[in-house]
Amino acid sequence: MIDFSLTDEQRQLQQLAREFTRREIIPIAAEYDRREELPWQVVEKAFEVGLLNLSIPEHAGGLGLGMLDEAIIGEELAYGCMGIYTVLMASELGIVPILVGGSEEQQRRFLTPLTEKPGLAAFALSEPDNGSDAAAMKTTAVLDGDEWVINGTKMWISNGGIAEITVVFATTERGGGHGATVALVVPKDAPGFSYNKIKHKMGQRASLTSELVFENVRVPRGNQLGGLGDGFKIAMKTLDKTRIPVAAGSVGIARRALDESLKYAKEREAFGKPITSYQAIQFKLAEMSMGIETGRLMTYKAAWLVDSGRPHASEAAIAKAYCSEMAFDAANEAIQVHGGYGYVGEYPVEKLLRDVKLNQIYEGTNEIQRLIIARNLLR
Amino acid sequence: MKILTLIRQVPDAEARVKLSGNVVDLGGTTVVMDGMDEYGVEAALRLREAGAEAEIIAVAVGPQRNEDALRTALAMGVDRAVHIETEERLDAVALSKVIAGLARSEGAELILLGGQEADWDSQALGAATAERLGWAQLTWTNELHLNGTALTGRHDVDDGNESFETHLPAVVTTQQGLNEPRYPTLPNIMKAKKKELRKDDLATYGAAPSLNYVSAEIQVRARLNRVIDGKDPQAAAAQLIDLLRNEAKVIR
Repeated sequence: MIDFSLTDEQRQLQQLAREFTRREIIPIAAEYDRREELPWQVVEKAFEVGLLNLSIPEHAGGLGLGMLDEAIIGEELAYGCMGIYTVLMASELGIVPILVGGSEEQQRRFLTPLTEKPGLAAFALSEPDNGSDAAAMKTTAVLDGDEWVINGTKMWISNGGIAEITVVFATTERGGGHGATVALVVPKDAPGFSYNKIKHKMGQRASLTSELVFENVRVPRGNQLGGLGDGFKIAMKTLDKTRIPVAAGSVGIARRALDESLKYAKEREAFGKPITSYQAIQFKLAEMSMGIETGRLMTYKAAWLVDSGRPHASEAAIAKAYCSEMAFDAANEAIQVHGGYGYVGEYPVEKLLRDVKLNQIYEGTNEIQRLIIARNLLR
Repeated sequence: MKILTLIRQVPDAEARVKLSGNVVDLGGTTVVMDGMDEYGVEAALRLREAGAEAEIIAVAVGPQRNEDALRTALAMGVDRAVHIETEERLDAVALSKVIAGLARSEGAELILLGGQEADWDSQALGAATAERLGWAQLTWTNELHLNGTALTGRHDVDDGNESFETHLPAVVTTQQGLNEPRYPTLPNIMKAKKKELRKDDLATYGAAPSLNYVSAEIQVRARLNRVIDGKDPQAAAAQLIDLLRNEAKVIR
């Protein structure tokens, strides 16, 4: 009836991701966080070993990994650095709407190039004046002959501006509500398309977050995903899936918080005894472990629902909200376990807290997650 | 030609081991392919990539969990795997009988294996295997090339190195610096699923350990946990040097 064991193959890709994290991410995480710079070499290396753009289906030249595979990998990568994982995760976020709303021809046209050389995708929904309220979007798309002309500004876009392709959500008629939205694929080099890097983020500073500016950007009509008015639906269906990796990444952060706390607590003494001998510390460690185990189970369940083609919106929302809050608490307590040392950058725990805060916000704030959960209850 | 590459599993460098009864119990411990054996797998793959027409076979002799390490080797790129599954712990001389026997039955011409293991260091396996087969033996290899049946390479010693040449068949033991083993990439992990992992029976090889493991102890190292106050870097450096020189006696 129920089986919690990973397949041989899943254990291997977990091992690969763990090794990749140990070799390529952990050693550079602090430095790129300090420099507020995206470590492009990690994208290249991830591409080499096949950890980039996992969800591209086989017919488009990819591996077509499932959501559970992605969750297993995501936990490992985020263990090393949530910011760096966001670069890879946000690329999947840019790919999924093409899987959800695109034709096979579009999938091949837009995604095959991402399997041929290191490259990223991006997803552009939020705007300066609206995030969760996607129906209020102001970016417009006007049909001119066989081309869509896009004007407007998108905000908080991970990989924004450097991604080879960006799925941009726009309205064909301001105030037209969800029914006027359209999803368009915009290539990096489209004239009139520019970006500004958003600086001084609290955390996840190794990921690039941008403001995107569209000034009369023209894309062929063939770059439209789905039909007219499908934009909002495509965006929501995408997020229902892609917030599962956010949950998985959160579990990775929490696991790191626990490991770092264990390591420190075993070495630190107070009043002549290792601090692990005090229940005040033991309980914090136990609490972290409880959160990690339950969070991972919920993440795996949501992923399994996706992979088996079942409804998953509510479970994905539960996993995302639960895990990001659980991981926030774990990171917070990890600092407490470390005392003063936890508050300075010499130990990795303060970065965990700065990084994990974003997991409570992006891909739908945790308040929006609760709304999704409640709507499903009250339906 | 066929290349055999031996895979052993050892506890992960950060793993903790425990005793159960009179032996080290690795149940519940994270085990990985031995780093030295990884060099062997990588060397075999590189010989092929450099033009050698070779079928590469990964071999493990040990418990069921060895399958993980074999699958890693398959995902790195070896063609197939043979698992001689046994709970019996074979000493190097007994193990050499199995490896030599398999090399004969497979018709292999080159055997690559780690010069030592992360958790044991008899350095006898390569030598014993070569002796049984009457093959050339090259130890502590840092560089390896194959041109037809001519095998050339280098091994480093403490104060320099030696270059060598010989002809197949041969047993080559690896050491750190031979190469940088590749990751098993995700596409290769998926492909490895379809590769053969054959189970073999230890009884076929007539190998029995000639020594019994009577007991084991795990050394406990007490840490001093001394922290040097780094507020004054110069004073801290001076204190560190003093401790390293006069207390730890690791520098002169």
